[in-house]
This record gives sequence, C-alpha cells and structure tokens, in this order.
Amino acid sequence: MPIARTEPRWTRYAVGALGVAAATSILKLLGIHVNSTTVALGLLLVVLFVATRWGSTPALLTSLLAMLCFNFFFLPPFGTFSIAATDNWVALTAFLITAVTAGQLSARAKRRAEEAETGRKEIERLYAELRDAFERASHTEALRQSEKLKSALLDAVSHDLRTPLASIKASITTLLDEVKAQNDGEQTIPLDAESRVEMMEVIDEESDRLNRFIGGLIDLARIEAGELQLRRRWGAVDEIISTALLRAASSTKGRDVQVNIEKELPVVRVDERAVSEVVYTLIENAAKYSPDSTGIMIRARRSDDGMVKMSVEDKGLGIPVDLRERVFDKFFRATRDGDVSSHQPSGTGMGLAIAKGIIEAHDGRIWIESGTGGIGTRVVFTLPIGDEETDQQKGLS
Amino acid sequence: MNDKPRILVVDDEPQLTRVLRTGLKSRGYDVLAAEDGSSGIKVFNEWQPDLVITDLAMPNMDGLELCRRLRAISQVPIIILSAKGEERIKVEALDIGADDFVTKPFGIDELLARLRAALRRATVQTTNQVDETVLHAGDFHVDLESRSVTVDGREIHLTPKEFDLLVYFLKHPGKVLTHRTLLAAVWGGDHVEQDQYLRVFVGNLRKKLENDPASPRYILTEPWVGYRFSPHE
Repeated sequence: MPIARTEPRWTRYAVGALGVAAATSILKLLGIHVNSTTVALGLLLVVLFVATRWGSTPALLTSLLAMLCFNFFFLPPFGTFSIAATDNWVALTAFLITAVTAGQLSARAKRRAEEAETGRKEIERLYAELRDAFERASHTEALRQSEKLKSALLDAVSHDLRTPLASIKASITTLLDEVKAQNDGEQTIPLDAESRVEMMEVIDEESDRLNRFIGGLIDLARIEAGELQLRRRWGAVDEIISTALLRAASSTKGRDVQVNIEKELPVVRVDERAVSEVVYTLIENAAKYSPDSTGIMIRARRSDDGMVKMSVEDKGLGIPVDLRERVFDKFFRATRDGDVSSHQPSGTGMGLAIAKGIIEAHDGRIWIESGTGGIGTRVVFTLPIGDEETDQQKGLS
Repeated sequence: MNDKPRILVVDDEPQLTRVLRTGLKSRGYDVLAAEDGSSGIKVFNEWQPDLVITDLAMPNMDGLELCRRLRAISQVPIIILSAKGEERIKVEALDIGADDFVTKPFGIDELLARLRAALRRATVQTTNQVDETVLHAGDFHVDLESRSVTVDGREIHLTPKEFDLLVYFLKHPGKVLTHRTLLAAVWGGDHVEQDQYLRVFVGNLRKKLENDPASPRYILTEPWVGYRFSPHE
C-alpha cells in the first residue's frame, strides 16, 4: 500500500506492540471466560494484521512479543516466564511456529499482491507510452502523406492550367509572328482567313476552359473548407433536370436523351442550382465518355428509404469496379490516371469531386454502378426529400 | 512531288495539335498529328516524317516510350514538348536520344527555331558522314589525326580528355547533350553518375576556348539537363 510506505519505520513495530498489548488486555479482562486456544487465536489475529499491513519483519517481532505475553499472562504460573505443565510448552511452541509461519505467509502474499499491482501499473504505463508513440508516428505519417498529396495535386493543377495556356500561347504567337514578319518585310506564307479564325477560336475556347477550371478550383476549395452555402428551397425534380439538360444541350446534340421521372415524385428541399450543377456534370460526363451514337438515360424516383434517387446512365466503356470510388477523388481521371483507354479528351478531374461535395452537403450519397445489362456507367445519387426542420441554410461540416 | 519538310506532331491535347498543324503549315511544313505514342509510331512508319515533335505525358504510349521505339528504328530528329515538373522524364528522353526540348507554354517562334536547327543538323549529319579526319564547324577547325584544334584562327592546346569532349560536342552541334550522354561518350558507361568530372572538364574547356568563360558563347549550359554546343561562325 502506498500509504504504509510513507509511515516511519518504527510505527510498524509500535503498532505491532500496541496491538499485542491491547489484545492481551482485552483477553485478560475477559478473565476465566477464555481458554488458551482463544488467547492464541486472538494474538494470531494481531500477527496476521501486522503481517498483511507491514510485511515479514514487524510480523516476526509481533509474533515473538505475542509469544512472550501468551506465556507471561496466560500460561500458569501466571506473571512469570516459567511454564509448569509440559503440554503448555507444546502449546506455546505451536503458537510461536503458527504465528511466525502465518505471519511470513501473509507477508509474502501481500508482497506478491504488491508486485502484481506494480507489474500491472508498469504494463499500463508501457501501453500508454506505446499508444502515444504510435499516435505520434501515425500523425507524422499522415502529415507526410498529406504533403505528398499536396505536391501531387499541385502538379495536377499546374498541368491543367498550363495545357490551355500552351495552346493559347502557341496560337497568339503564330498570329503575332505573322504580323511582325509582314512589318519587317520578311517572306512568309500568310495565314489564310480560315487558319486565322481557327487560331482565334482556339484562344477563345481555351480561355473558357481556363475559366471553367479556375471556377472548379474555387468550388472545390469552398467545399473542402466547409464553406459551401446551400440555399435550400422546395423544388421540383423535373425542373432541376430540365435546367441541366438545357445547359448540356450542345454536348448532347443529336443524342437520344431519355428522361424517366416517376409520377407524383414529391418536391425536394434542396439547393436547386447546386443539384442542377451535379446533374449537368453527370450528363456532360456521359456525353464525353460514350460514343456519339449511343443514348443517355436520366431517371428519378422515390427510393425505399424515403429519399429521392436520381441517376444518369450512358452506354460507354464503363468504369472498372476498382476505380469507382477513386473517380470521386479530386483531379483523378480514369482516362489518364486509371489506364482506361479512351480517345476522348480527359476532363479536369474536378466534376465528380464537386458533385460528391454538393450531394454530401445535402446529406445524400453518390456512387457508380454498371449500366443496364452491365454496359456503360450509371452514376446514382440520393437526396433526402427534406422537411421544415432543415429550413436553415446548411453548410458542410 | 512534295519537297516540304514533313513534321509529325504527337500530343494528346487536340487544341495544341490544331494550333501546331495550322501554325507549322503556314511556315511551309507538311504536318500530320497523332494523339498518342502508338498512333505516332503508325503514322511514322507510313509517312516517314523528317522530324517528330512529341509531348511526354500521353495515354496508351507516352513520349518516352515513343522516343525509345523511334530510336530503335530511326535517327529522325525528335523535339520534346515538356512541362515544368517533368524534368526527370525530359532528361530521360534526351538520354534515350531525343534532340531537343521546348517547355510549355512556348511561343511558336521558339519552336520554329529549334525545329529549323534540328532539321539543319540532320541534313549536315547525313552529308558529312564520309569526312572522318577533319572536323570543321563555325569557328572550329579540328584535325582528328594530329589532334590539333584552332578556334577562330587561334591554336588551342587540349588534354586528351578535353579533346575527346570537344570532338563529341563538335559532332553534335546545337543538340542538347545530357550529363549522362557526355559522360558515357567520353569517360565510358561506368562514369555516368559522376557529374563533377564533366563540370571540371567543361570549365577547363571554356577557359581555353571562350573569350569570357563566365558568359560562354560556345558551350552553353542547359540548367539541370546538360550542355548545348554552338560552334558559331
């Protein structure tokens, strides 16, 4: 016991002696009502108490003192250390042996218990230390991974910013060079009107691409910082889909786009603009990654768990099962990073990451399945129908 | 018969190939484009272009593999379009035998200058192959038998290794030569990691050849890549 360790050494012996004195006095007061067996047991109790509390040496001294008191006060002739009857000699010797043995055994038991306790504490301490060390190590590893990820993301971003810039720069310097050469009177084959228009078209389209990319970066940053502000209103699913279809009209031109919305689908409480953006992204992806002649199917219905479930399906190459989660990672492109061969230009790698951010901010879920009959890709998402309690503008946590 | 130089552009970025096709055609080149390495090889075999411009990062077969495959079958000049962050792979492509590189984004005039230089070298190389004992380029006149060197009329004394290094430079004027390529050519394959040898010898060569070794005219440094030799006139 930690308290016993703080007590001065002599108190253990004093308590032992006092204990023996007290037991002797009580037994003596009881007078003729006690026989020598009762006395022996009474004194033995004191020895056991001292042994369990303070260990073997105080117990040994208490045993000797108890033996002397037993002899002096309770074995005839009383008041002397001499013993008349032989059987009392046997009793006294038996008492001494019992007291010493019992004292030593209980002291040892106590020591074992203390050792076990110390061992347990040591194990606990080591475990805590190990756990701390492990936590520190995984924290460092996480930091390292995060740094690695950051640098990979930076590479991806700079590549995507520089690619349209390369086309713009090459176009504009081609145009500029011609003007300069003409001014300097050099012999060059002049660009025909068609080529000139083509150069300017490239500049126009690539500037738009840069602008879209930067817009996407800002959206992603907002989602990641938890600053996506949803303006939830009650809205009809068919309106959300038709807005998205209108925006995607140029990329779905000539395609068979089917829209299948369950009758009496309830209105949903969502940020219509954001959800329409998600549907638009999915339609654009479907158009980009499937042959021009194939159809696109958009569905919306009520799911079993009281959510609204929407999906966009194409008849393209499909996405391998092991990439179906990764395509939602920002800047991941199955056509470029995932060895999915395609002759289509790869996108920015942000569309699905943003879509996921928007859907999850609505407490919905988004995932990828194979299309009907195992052909193509079906991107599915769910949205809670919503109730009055979610009226407040809700940010991403 | 069409005698315009033929340029094959390999890039997975359709807008860039669109610009290069139009821009290079307007400068009198015949241009075909391919969207990745494997279709690049196909067009190369069918069309036999005079020069190949290739991007590095492409799906299916990347620019590095394309260089490797092209070098196995041809000495056609190769210009690499690289982006920042692709330095390692760019050097690897140059080691394999690509001739030059242009970093994106680039102006068309820079690409045209590299393209003209590479085409010129290719013509010089094919016409000069018979003359083995005397090298003459720009300000340099080197007799391989007597191992004598004159630069702009001055006679220069070089150590045997300096001489070998200069001869290698002279045989590849205007081309980007990586540290590895130079070390392997002059010191042998065991020394390709020992950039410090090269730095010392290039320093010594510059002291002997250049009027102002601090701003060299003949042996130009390509940072992190290697050197480019320009013999001038």
